[in-house]
Amino acid sequence: MIRELAEAGVFGVTVPAENGGLGMGLAAGGVIAEEVGRVIAPEPVVMTIGLSLGLLRRLCPNHAKLEQLVGGECVLAVAWQERGPNGGPAEASCRYENGKLTGGKAWVVGAVGAQGFLVVAEGRAGPVLVLVAAGADGLAVKERRQADGSAMGELSFSGTPAEELASGGAVRDALAEAISDATALAAAELVGLSERAFEITLEYIKTREQFDKPIGSFQVIQHRAVDLKVMCEVAQSGVREALGLMDRETDPKARARLASRAKARAVTAARKITRDAIQLHGAVGYTDEYDIGLYLNRALVLSAWLGDDSYHRRLWLEAREEEGAAQ
Amino acid sequence: MTDWNAMSDAEFRKEVRGFFEAEYPEDLRHLPHRPKFAEIEHWHRKLHAKGWVAPAWPSEYGGMGLNAAKLLIFYEEQQRWGVNRGRDMGVQMVGPLIIKFGTQKQKDYWLPRILSCEDIWCQGYSEPGAGSDLANLRTRAEMDGDDFVINGQKIWTTMAHDATHIFMLVRTDPDAPKKQQGISFLLAPMDQPGIEVRTITTLSGETEFCEVFFDNARAPRENLVGELNKGWTMAKALLSFERIFIGSPSLAQNALGQLESFARGRGAFEDPVFRDRFAQAALDVEDHAALYARFADQLKRGETLGADVSMLKIWVTECFQRITELMIEAAGPDGGTIGPLQVGNVGVDVLSSFYKARPTTIYGGSNEIQRNILSKAALGLPG
Repeated sequence: MIRELAEAGVFGVTVPAENGGLGMGLAAGGVIAEEVGRVIAPEPVVMTIGLSLGLLRRLCPNHAKLEQLVGGECVLAVAWQERGPNGGPAEASCRYENGKLTGGKAWVVGAVGAQGFLVVAEGRAGPVLVLVAAGADGLAVKERRQADGSAMGELSFSGTPAEELASGGAVRDALAEAISDATALAAAELVGLSERAFEITLEYIKTREQFDKPIGSFQVIQHRAVDLKVMCEVAQSGVREALGLMDRETDPKARARLASRAKARAVTAARKITRDAIQLHGAVGYTDEYDIGLYLNRALVLSAWLGDDSYHRRLWLEAREEEGAAQ
Repeated sequence: MTDWNAMSDAEFRKEVRGFFEAEYPEDLRHLPHRPKFAEIEHWHRKLHAKGWVAPAWPSEYGGMGLNAAKLLIFYEEQQRWGVNRGRDMGVQMVGPLIIKFGTQKQKDYWLPRILSCEDIWCQGYSEPGAGSDLANLRTRAEMDGDDFVINGQKIWTTMAHDATHIFMLVRTDPDAPKKQQGISFLLAPMDQPGIEVRTITTLSGETEFCEVFFDNARAPRENLVGELNKGWTMAKALLSFERIFIGSPSLAQNALGQLESFARGRGAFEDPVFRDRFAQAALDVEDHAALYARFADQLKRGETLGADVSMLKIWVTECFQRITELMIEAAGPDGGTIGPLQVGNVGVDVLSSFYKARPTTIYGGSNEIQRNILSKAALGLPG
């Protein structure tokens, strides 16, 4: 599957042509992500385009791994967050010294099935990006099952050998940019998911009959369906516009603000649409047999990943105030 | 005569903006109420001298002849600078109706008088029993010699007390098999003994709406526009451009700007709950503007808009209401106070914004009616 996607040029969409990609930008990446969302594909497309390639193309565009990622020959999961004692996010403390990693990383998407990990750790002089092979000495991967059946990885390192790829402020900057890209692409994935969930629901209310009529002939159902449609269209336009603007914007803060705008909108829409979709399906929507539940489950995971809507509205407003103050 | 459509969008925008900024009276910017003609007469004269009273009319009738793209720019600039639309019922509704369906004689007589505002028009559509169900209208017009004799009542007639003429939908065939049939378009002078106008005081204390009573009022036969009993089809044909215009982001954008400066002045941004709701509203406006741009681009490419354009109206009017509700919230204990609330050296009239937002979900086809239309025309739902 990964190979087929690679042959279609999916992974290289934002990678410059001189590094073997298509050099097309985020808006084009968003079109792909929407399609991935429509079929709720469990493939690590957004993670690879946004995070793995987002880091490599900015920090070490000539590394052999970049070409392999574009070619679908391997998948690298990206690990930068850490879990604190209260279970929430904590300051980074995982260290890289003398070619070895010690500490842990959490919330690693795609950890299961990845051939290696791109880890952002603390080095002697600021952050470092290192590459760890799957199955390396002293590496333990714990899985946390997600609502959509995927697994989120928790990594722990004890003197695990790693290859240093880049270090210093550039790593911090590239990570922030890659997170912006992935956030925006996850928003596009949610848009595609929401659209498809709505289409399935629309089809259902046209055919399901009660009181000898399709339930879609009842005004209360019609008005709810219209509201979901409007929500869908606003989300698609808003997210596409944000991704297009990100392609024309060079200031990382402005790009982060646009990514927040996209994710805030997409999560709000997907939450409303997938939950109302269950309600409009009635009891069968609550069963494992109907596909509609898969959309709800995938939306839960994509919403929590890289920040939900209230988180991104907070970032968006802070960034807007900062820009306002600077002017 | 200038061919505005030949200009680039940017050039044209600059031209329009330049004129408004240089010529529009400062004290009339963002008027919170609908003015009577006398209040804006001076501005109307300037606009008339410039030949800009009727941007959408073909130039042969004294309009600017703008295509859809240029027209949208014109209105965007008008709203941006807070330029009052003036008493534009004649320009927006009567003119296009006569241009499309009127006789040469009607065009020669009425169009110049609309442009000069010698005649000031009001719209007689709604009746007490014909609101959302407009086709249910019952005001009768019967032939009597060379005149129509009109009996009945119109309501929600905006600014009828400051109008010289009314254009109206009247029932001319009460026996037609469907109620949409048997309706005609008629023009009538207001200054006659058979017409009585009473103003309606709204929740905000304004008197821009009126009731108009017809008791054997008269209009000459030649004031019939188009064919007898074909008024319903004509009225629908007039609505096509209005459907995107009524969903434009400007009302919500202006209110958001007002909310932000007011709430900052009042310190509401210290409150995390307010912050989140503000961000929600601001993003609702931004993402709506993206959807609006998509429809506007469709128009600019010369495509006709489908029924789905009504999505814009539903979203933006409800968003506008939430923004004005946030203003009241930010006002705290002043939330029930009439008149401008002082913040720094500007006054923000919180209640007037709130009231102004209420009818937007009712007029132009209530949002419930819009949802009915969308469910059938855009979603293909049955029944």
